[in-house]
Amino acid sequence: MSRQGLFTRRSASPKNIVSPRHRLAARGDWCPAWWRLAALGFLAALLCDTRARAGSPDFDRSVMPVLVSRCLECHSGDEPKGGLDLSRQKSALKAIVAGKPADSELWKRVAAGEMPPKKPLQDPEKALLKEWIDSGARWGTDPIDPFAVTTASRAGRDWWSLKPVARPAQPMPGNPVDAFVREKLAEAGMKPAPPADRRTLIRRVYFDLIGLPPSYESVEAFAGDPRPDAYERLVDSLLASPHHGERWGRYWLDAARYAETCGYERDQVKPDVWKYRDWVINAFNSDMPFDRFVAEQLAGDEVPGAGERGVIATGFIRLGTWNDEPNDPREYQYDRLEDMVGATTTAFLAMTVRCARCHDHKFDPISQEDYYRIGGAFWAGHVQPGSPLGGPDAKALGYPNVFGWTDKGRSAPPLHLLRKGDPARPGQVVQPGHLSAVTSLATPLADPPADARTTTRRLQLANWISDPRNPLSARVWVNRVWQGHFGAGLVRTTDNFGFTGEKPTHPGLLDWLAAEFVHNGGRTKPIHRLILMSETYRQASSHPLHERYSGTDASNRLLWRAERRRLDAESLRDSLLAASGNLRLDKVGGPSFSPVIPADALEGLSTKSRAWKPSPPEEQGRRSVYIFAKRGLLPPLLTTFDLPDTTLPNCRRDVTTVPTQALALLNNPFAHEQSAALAGRIGTRVEAKARVEAAWRMALGRNPSPDELSAGLKHLETQAKLLAVAGDPAREALASLCHVLLNTNEFIHVD
Amino acid sequence: MNRLFPCGLARRELLWEMGGGFAGVALAGMLGREARADGPLAPRRPHHAGKAKACIFLMMNGGPSQVDTFDPKPTLARFAGTEMPKDKKFINSGGRKIGFLTPEFRPFRPGGASGLPVSDYFPLVRAHADKLAVIRSCHTDSHAHGSALVMMNTGKTFIGRPSLGSWAVYGLGTENSNLPGYVVLMDKRGGPISGQPNWSSGFISAAYGGTLFRPSGDPILDLRGPAGITPAAQRAQLDLLAELNQRHMDQRPGGRELAARAQSYELAFKMQAAAPEAVDLARESQATLSLYGVGDKVTDEFGRNCLIARRLVERGVRFVQLYSGGGHLEDTWDAHAGIESNHGKHAAEVDRPIAGLLTDLAARGMLDSTLVVWGGEFGRMPFSEGRNEPGRNHNPYGFSMWLAGGGAKGGITHGATDDLGFQAVENKVHIHDLHATILHLMGLDHELLTHFHQGRHERLTDVHGHVVREVIA
Repeated sequence: MSRQGLFTRRSASPKNIVSPRHRLAARGDWCPAWWRLAALGFLAALLCDTRARAGSPDFDRSVMPVLVSRCLECHSGDEPKGGLDLSRQKSALKAIVAGKPADSELWKRVAAGEMPPKKPLQDPEKALLKEWIDSGARWGTDPIDPFAVTTASRAGRDWWSLKPVARPAQPMPGNPVDAFVREKLAEAGMKPAPPADRRTLIRRVYFDLIGLPPSYESVEAFAGDPRPDAYERLVDSLLASPHHGERWGRYWLDAARYAETCGYERDQVKPDVWKYRDWVINAFNSDMPFDRFVAEQLAGDEVPGAGERGVIATGFIRLGTWNDEPNDPREYQYDRLEDMVGATTTAFLAMTVRCARCHDHKFDPISQEDYYRIGGAFWAGHVQPGSPLGGPDAKALGYPNVFGWTDKGRSAPPLHLLRKGDPARPGQVVQPGHLSAVTSLATPLADPPADARTTTRRLQLANWISDPRNPLSARVWVNRVWQGHFGAGLVRTTDNFGFTGEKPTHPGLLDWLAAEFVHNGGRTKPIHRLILMSETYRQASSHPLHERYSGTDASNRLLWRAERRRLDAESLRDSLLAASGNLRLDKVGGPSFSPVIPADALEGLSTKSRAWKPSPPEEQGRRSVYIFAKRGLLPPLLTTFDLPDTTLPNCRRDVTTVPTQALALLNNPFAHEQSAALAGRIGTRVEAKARVEAAWRMALGRNPSPDELSAGLKHLETQAKLLAVAGDPAREALASLCHVLLNTNEFIHVD
Repeated sequence: MNRLFPCGLARRELLWEMGGGFAGVALAGMLGREARADGPLAPRRPHHAGKAKACIFLMMNGGPSQVDTFDPKPTLARFAGTEMPKDKKFINSGGRKIGFLTPEFRPFRPGGASGLPVSDYFPLVRAHADKLAVIRSCHTDSHAHGSALVMMNTGKTFIGRPSLGSWAVYGLGTENSNLPGYVVLMDKRGGPISGQPNWSSGFISAAYGGTLFRPSGDPILDLRGPAGITPAAQRAQLDLLAELNQRHMDQRPGGRELAARAQSYELAFKMQAAAPEAVDLARESQATLSLYGVGDKVTDEFGRNCLIARRLVERGVRFVQLYSGGGHLEDTWDAHAGIESNHGKHAAEVDRPIAGLLTDLAARGMLDSTLVVWGGEFGRMPFSEGRNEPGRNHNPYGFSMWLAGGGAKGGITHGATDDLGFQAVENKVHIHDLHATILHLMGLDHELLTHFHQGRHERLTDVHGHVVREVIA
């Protein structure tokens, strides 16, 4: 059968979903969703094509996918609808008379449009079923294994992200990043942007690696550094900076749903949880090997020799919200389990395992049993109601003043699969284990050793995650690293490597980096270095052919230029402090501080008066990563700039542009204080020209152009007149100029 | 409880996500985070023609008692002083004392031509009975304030999900770019329990979160700078900023995000004028002010808020939520200590303002296009808290809410609680159903309004919700 014919026959594939109107919508911009679906349709056609050539009629390859995607949701399992189980040959034949569609109940219902009840089958699907029954209704794998292969409507165990990582050959010599990127660009007939100039580059790499702007002096020194390895030295010094962990640890805190309170009515403080934050920062600074990074967070209490540090790291498990008065305590323990399973599998595996709490995953080869298998690792701990702040106390943890996790003992209560997720309908007991789709690592869990105090299930889960053969973990990790440097991952859905996520733009590069990461013993800094040294990273954010290239790849998937990025909430606040001279970089780690929040912003709290006590002034200059993360009151200045909600793991921040951001930078007292402080740094004793120059240097790290200089001077004059009533008009005018500079696009964007 | 997740990718959902036919609504979901071309708050076409262009949600924080307000239960008088029947199962929220069945504290009287009964706690609202669709069979998933408030606002008992107002603005955008699309007006006594998650946009972009408005002075946070920065001085700043941004952009062709951000400063500048104007009641006539009870000590605060709500809706704001009651216990409708003392106070604060709002909206021809919703996060028990005590404990099993205007029927009741007013038994309306109905009246289909997040097509109503057709005109 021709590919064309198959396209027509399998018209239930998503290709069909793209309506003419949607195509119109897609034309204006290079629409990735459209591209994805088209690719999917094409893939489906290809798959069918191979199958058809392999011989027909083929149950597993053509009939089975229709049954799986359209019938089995109701007609399978313990209690199939109408007593009809279509997943097994024997029971399915109750509704099928081989060779006689007209006598087959299945066909009669389908032909009449009665089944499936809400969305009848498409004509080609119907034709396929009829043809299959007509030709003898030959069955294939029994019972049906819906996870076996990828179809047009769902992923199988052969899904790309579940295949073992194999290091591909580099398509051309040179930096591997460039080799893979250039290959794709060449295929598209495109060329990369020219290199960014040194002043742009140092600003980019500063924000990228430590989240802070370079000083004017650093910029000038780098711009004039004649050494051929000047850039390499810069990269190495920033990677070695203690501020690197403050920047990159923050990304992980998002993914770990880090906050320091429980949420809900009382929003209780989780004491000492900030030690977990410091653990994360130290992990990035010391380039902790990945296996250790995973093991300590999931099972630091079980890692031999990890001691107190390991128990602090297990805070990861306990970072979710916690309700001290759940409506239904029995159901709530399963909600907590979902939080732990969800956070672990999202952050480390980028799989939506959470979706399988109530039923088999609709798109990925994750069974409901898989969900409970992973859940078994946490079920041995203090998930059930009755523990203070939802977890073990100091005695159980073995250390005072630590907020962590451990099992209740060497054994755990049985964990039943819940039919439709309903606690009132327990199914079979599920043994703890891993995702069954990762067939290369189907090792059963061992019983705890004789001397163990815990079940060691979490340690075994951690080891499974960090096993070099695990196809997901390394890919997910290097993708996260890539996103940190480029603003978008090679897989743009950093939190979803499944069927409903996006596919990698550069699959070869992703696998090459994953293999390299494993080869380096799970160290991240060499991957940073590799990426940062590439010409792809070092190119300019503008391209001479910008207009033309935007027409075909507006979202820069092929990396034909560097992505211009807006500072995130923390970098923005830190940069304002850096410009004003108020930044306290020496205050690294330790208990969080509470920033000053204007009284107006506290109006939404149910306990206004005692809700928020700002820390003393000397704390106010600390970096934003150390801000007390209270679930009921995230600092408005930061949420305005897209600081995410902390309830669920966040793997990629939004970047929005709304007028309230402008209002915040124009009017928030914090912005004014920093402007005034910057003006104070410059002073009014120097002549006007020197003031303007200093303002540019301190705010933007460069000298003003002649035009900018005169505009700045004019502003000083105008404002001194308009602000004549102020105590010191010259000072006010200078503060006004500084304030404008701190509001510029240049200040808040990184080329 | 059915906890099925909506992991199915229905064809129409996909179409919706992809903007097929709907001018790109929710396109952002499928496109990852790439912003909508015309800005996140640009007006969007609804799914169907909905009567309500805007919604005003009157949130009676703390949980008003249904049997004392909109759900008369004559049977209670007969059983007064006896215990709750043993077959009625309930969670005794907070482990409080369980007393005797207690009839209403103020009598009911028929209102309007419909004769819809409203108690003497709301004598002025009663005059609008013919505008109300009272749903007497509401039920919710939590007996605790914190989670029940979040349930009413976001459809789940746990925090972190987008609120009703966020979904509405996500679906429809806003008509006035100089004002936020979704405004929340607090009670001066404090915010609701659980705080900001009640008006959060959850996992949808922060652009759709509710903006807190203060009823006097500068309504929005950061609307004005510190004293001393005159408007002229600020204009000079903005002019220099525009000049510098233009230079910067000239060197960076194709920087759409740069242009959008430069533009946002002009919008902000306009908002600085538009927002104070929207809350400035100086130009309202004395008659209007009196209608809302502005100037009267008891009704002034809620009256101002109701009047501001009308002014906001008039100016194109999509969703306004007003809180009556703030903080905890008796500062809210949480009448543990006494229905008469508590509801007597709170109802007196809101009765005239709400009646004034309905009168005013109708007089201005705005009621047809403005949906007004009234209710709390749950109801209260038909028995007293302690024997012969005057208070009542929380009740999530049955309570009343009403809709008015915006395409809702008038002068009707829908559903019923049992003879004691304890539990919804007839035509039960879950919060998901209420949400589905509110969205429907606004022209949005709760099954189509989805946001793709971590592998799921998330909806306000999860996999639940049925539009209550019976209350729609």
